[in-house]
This record gives sequence, structure tokens and C-alpha cells, in this order.
Amino acid sequence: MSEMWINMGPQHPMTHGLWNLRVRIEGEIILDADPEMGYLHRGIEKISEDRHYNEIITLMDRTCYVAGIAWEHLYIQAAEQALHVTPPERAEYIRVLTEEMQRLASHIMWYAAFVQDLGLMSPFLYGMRDRDLLLDIFQSFTGGRLTYEYMRVGGVRNDLPPGTTAQVRQTMDWLMDRFVEYDRLCLGSDIFRRRCDDIGVLKANDCVTYGVTGPMLRAAGVARDLRKDRPYAVYDQLEFDVARADSADVTGRYLVRLQEMRQSVRILRQVVDWLDGHPGPVMAEHVPRWLGAPYAPIGREGYLVKRSYPKGLGFSAIEEPHGEAAAYVVNEGGEHPYRVKFRSPVFVNLSAVKKYLVGYRVADIPPILGSVDVCVGEVDR
Amino acid sequence: MAVQSLYGVASLLASALFGAFAPAWLVVLVADAIFGAILLAASMLNTILLIWYERKLLGRFMDRRGAMHVGYAGLLQNFADGLKLFRKNTYPPREADVLGFYSGPTAYLVSSLVIFGVLPISTGWDNGSLPLSLLLALVIFSFAPLFIFVSAWSSNNKYSLMGGMRSAAQMIAYEVPILIAVVAVIVLSGSFDLTTIVAEQRNYWFWAPLFLALVVFVAGMLAEMERIPFDLPEAEAELVEGWNTEYGGMLFAFFMLADYLRALIGSILIVLLFLGGWTLPSYVPSALTNFPLAGIVWFMVKTYLVFGLFVWVRASLPRVRTDQLLRVGWMRMVPLSLLSVFLAALVVVSRCLPVIGCVPGMGR
Repeated sequence: MSEMWINMGPQHPMTHGLWNLRVRIEGEIILDADPEMGYLHRGIEKISEDRHYNEIITLMDRTCYVAGIAWEHLYIQAAEQALHVTPPERAEYIRVLTEEMQRLASHIMWYAAFVQDLGLMSPFLYGMRDRDLLLDIFQSFTGGRLTYEYMRVGGVRNDLPPGTTAQVRQTMDWLMDRFVEYDRLCLGSDIFRRRCDDIGVLKANDCVTYGVTGPMLRAAGVARDLRKDRPYAVYDQLEFDVARADSADVTGRYLVRLQEMRQSVRILRQVVDWLDGHPGPVMAEHVPRWLGAPYAPIGREGYLVKRSYPKGLGFSAIEEPHGEAAAYVVNEGGEHPYRVKFRSPVFVNLSAVKKYLVGYRVADIPPILGSVDVCVGEVDR
Repeated sequence: MAVQSLYGVASLLASALFGAFAPAWLVVLVADAIFGAILLAASMLNTILLIWYERKLLGRFMDRRGAMHVGYAGLLQNFADGLKLFRKNTYPPREADVLGFYSGPTAYLVSSLVIFGVLPISTGWDNGSLPLSLLLALVIFSFAPLFIFVSAWSSNNKYSLMGGMRSAAQMIAYEVPILIAVVAVIVLSGSFDLTTIVAEQRNYWFWAPLFLALVVFVAGMLAEMERIPFDLPEAEAELVEGWNTEYGGMLFAFFMLADYLRALIGSILIVLLFLGGWTLPSYVPSALTNFPLAGIVWFMVKTYLVFGLFVWVRASLPRVRTDQLLRVGWMRMVPLSLLSVFLAALVVVSRCLPVIGCVPGMGR
């Protein structure tokens, strides 16, 4: 076969979303790759400029549809900094609880999609089954399973109902057993190792050059994790290890994510222990009411209070399930933020696609891009 | 009058319908037609049942229930699906070669159906017992890459083309070890006739002396059926649907049916060649083998169990890559199959087996 360009996308089973990967191939070998983004652009940053601070939270859930609450956390930290609000400690712990549960749900979703790309059908359904348990917990205290709208400037919307911590503990025990099963199905399979070893290699210095973060960077041997290196919320009070692998290939990324899930379970167990022993408020007291009022101020003082607030800048960076996400919120004193800007880790990871795709085969594209864990929602925003 | 074979049933029906007032050649012709119709209906029904069986089994492997709602336990789900596909339009792409586009799937389906004419299913139910029935079945079975490639090429789609290329390479690569593994069976049984091969297994089934050949044959059949882990010609993750990307409606159903027909044929061949066909070992109580049509029943049970093995494989293995598949095919399977022929010859010469010991009448 002579050389040809093929468009994998925007409608293609490999893409897991809406983007176009153009690859030049000769036979089965990839000679060139070119990602085309923008099919899912919704202008979330621009829309944010016309919304109250708490209304933007709904947009955050839709930014990344598999890690909604992690993005809420990212935004809310920046917004609180810009508005000079400090949340109570219990709210911080609950946020960490939700973020780690979201990381688990997102990684399990990744696992399901990744093995499906490799042709493994059963683990896909096992993954979806286990993720459902986490969504059940989410539903019990946020009301949502995919889009939560749970965090608020100054805290979280409501405290955990009784029984949630016990449910979390039970689910964690179940999941730890399932991870053994996951490993047996993948690492125990010779075909899996043959498919995933030594493909999609992206070495540490290339990762740094392109700004690649998250599990891809840690799989290349760099133990960088914002939860450790730039602790936010209450991560500095929790014990966990940074997952790391040295092979820089698809198997390495698999190992990193599985290890990260185990660490998340470890964190969650500490968090629920703390939550059981420390009841308290989950919302800061001095938050202006109009922040929480979507269309009209609630209560009399809402009309009386002049809608102005000390100006401020907010920056936050968190270790989102896909990598390092950052948010920048500019508060010029009005009802709405003047400007909101996000850094999407997947966008950066995908722009290096040529580096880790060229030279491999067409059949390697699904596992390699599966190991990137693409979430197009946050790529295009 | 005891009817001893499928063709006997057809003849009886034909003579009952026309025997009194039609010339003999016409009765034979009608009998042939009825025979074909029964065979078609039976194989189609079995295929649809096979799909249901796979869906249910796969569902259990995946911790879910499979088809549930149409008919009892979803038995009629596939009829509903077939009806849906039948009602859908098929649009050939504008640049497609229409002749190839339509004839490819049709020929693929027909060539798969024809094989059922030569497969014996029980004592006497062998449709005339051709002396070369095994060879004929395998020859027709190996037409498939041609038809797949014709449909892939004429679709004029890059994914179809790549899928067709992969499919042709894979099928040809695995044709060779399959045929050589079959030679081992022929050496041991001394016949190309499937009925004779089954009869030769009256003392011991061939899977024990020919275990290596069985392994090669099963792996090769998995590749020929294009099922996971060897389904890379239609690897959905990278090639959308491979060589049948452009097909919809009834033409897609043709491919689907032919795939399952070939899976059925593969399972049947494994049962016939290695698992004693419709016979049971002599220590099985005779109550289990003495009811009417016992041979056919046991034959179907074995076939479905073998297919269940393929479903199990599908539920638990990832897909391999083209180059790995071809390397395994040419560099591992071919030598292994040659070795299995050598072992079969050794059994025939020595008339003994390592574990079972010397069996009277082993080898010839």
C-alpha cells in the first residue's frame, strides 16, 4: 500500500469523544500524526464571564464529564482566592473526599475504555459496574451521578448524610479486591503485555519539553504530583505515595493508574476517619448571599448590599485525574468574574501526539491514545 | 418406513407430494430442493440460536444478563434484530463498485452455507457420505478471503481496504497450519471421509493422541472465524468495522450470519475430527445413547460446548496485533502442525500411546 492520510475522527470509535486524529500511514506503519481539536468547543471560559461565581460550577461539571467534581474543586479554589473566602476545614475534607472518589471513578472509567480498545470486553463491564458504586455514593450526598453542582464558594452545598462514611469504607474494601482482578485480567495476560509493552514511549525529557503531566509523566519516571509538590486543600495532612513507573510506555501508564487508584483508596480511608470524628460547619459564614443567588438576590439584604467585593486574583492548580489542571480567576469587583482561564492537561498531553505515535502501527493507536486518557470535554472547553 | 437420513426425509416428502403423478427425475429434483430447504432452515435456525447462546453466555461472563426481553429469556431477540436489518436500506457508497459491493457478501454467505451439505451429523445422516467430504468442506471454507477482499476493495473505503488486507493475510496464514493439522487426523484415521473419521474414533477420540493438532486446529479456527483474540480485520477500535464498514441493513446481516455459520462449521469440524462426532465413549450408560436421534442430540451438545469455549476465549482475551498474529501463524503454528503430523505418524507406526497404552486397532 502506498502512503495515505486517514482521518480517525471526528466520528470514530478510537477517539472517545469528538476530535480528529489525522495519521499518514504506509501499510500499517504511522509516518505522521496531526491532532485536530475544537469539535467540542463550547466557550466555557467566555460564558463564565457572564455568570455569577456559583453559577460557573455547573459549567465545570460539563468541562470534563468524567471528572466533574475535580474541576469544580479546581475552579472553586481559584474563585475563593479571588473572593477572599476561606472554607471551613470540614468542607476541605469533604472536597478531598469527592475529588479522590472522582479520581477513582475517572480511572475506572479509563480502565474500562482502555481495555475495550484492546478488545477485552468483559473488564469493560466490570469497570462500569464498579464505577457505579462510586456514583451511588455521589448520588447519596450530591444528588447527581455525572454532574454534581456540589461545591460552593465558601464550602460545599450540604454535609454528608449519616451512613455515607460507612458506605465509602465498604466500597473501598470491595474496590481493593477488584483491583487485584483488574491486574489479573490485564497484566496476567501475555497478549496484553505484548500489545502494551514498549509502545507509545514518551521519555521524561520529552514530557517536560511538551508540558505533558499526570500519569503519562509519572509513567516516565518523574514522581511529580501536585498533591505532594504543591499541596492544596488538606492533602498535606494525608499520607499517600506518588505512583510512578519507569518504562514510559503504555504498560507503565497502566501501572501508574492502578497504583494511583490504590493510593486514592488509602487517602479516602483516612478522610472518612477524620470526617467521622470532626463534625462542624461545611460553609463559611461571611460569604455574601448574592454569590449563591442565581438570578435574583434572595432575602432583603440581598437588595440592600451593594454588589461589590474587594478585587482579587485567584489561581489554583490541582492534580486532576488526567494531569495537572490550573485555573485563573480575575475578580474586578463585579458580580461576575472578569476573566476565567483554565489549563487542560489532556490538551497538552494530546498536542505531543506526534512524538509518541510516529513509528508505531495503526493497531497501536487505540492502546496508545487509550493510555493518554482523552477527555475531549476539557480539551476544547 | 424408518427414515435414516435427512435426504431420506426429503425423498419421502417429495414422493408423498408428487410420487403418484410425476416422472421419477422430477421427484428426485423436488427431493433435492426440499433437502436444500431443510438444510438451509436448520443451519439458519442453528445460527440464530448460536447468536442467542453467545449473547447469553457472554452476558454471564460479563456479570450481566444478555438479551432478556423479546421472547422467553430473549430467545426471539435475534429474530427482531434480523427483521430490523431486513427492513433497513443498504446504501452503496457513491464511488463503490456496485457489482463487487453486492456480490461479495452474498458469495460469502452462500459459500458458508454450502459447507453444511457435506457435514455428517449422525449415523446415516451424512448426505451420501462423500469420500472426500473433509477436503471439500475445507476447500469451500477457504474461499472466504477472496469474497471478503472483493467486498472490502469494492467498498472504496480506506478502513475497509485495510481490514480486507488484514483479513486476507490472516486467513491465508492460518489456512496452512489448519490443513496440516487436518493431515494428522487423516494419517490416524486413514480417510478423507468425515463419516469414516468419526467411525474410526470408536475406541478412542482423536483429541488425546492428536492433542497438538487439536491446539493448532482450534487456534487456526479462531483466526479463520475472525473472533477475538484474532478479530483484527474488524478491529473496531482502530478500523471502525474493518472490511464491513460500509455495509448496512441486509448485507451487514449477510456478513453477520456468515460469520456465525463459519463459527458453527468450525465447532462442528472440531467435534467431528477430534471429539468423536456423535458417538459417546462405551462406558457411558446405554440409556443415554438409546433414545431416538441420540446421535444428533449429542452431536449438537458437543458442538455448542465447543462454541462455548470460543465464547469464553472471547470474553477473556484482548486482541493481538497483525504482525504478532502473522508471526505466530507462520513461525509457530506451521512448525507445530508439522510436528503434530509427525506425532500422528509415530502413533500409527507404533500403534501405542504414551498414556493410554496400546489400543487394538489403533492406526492402520
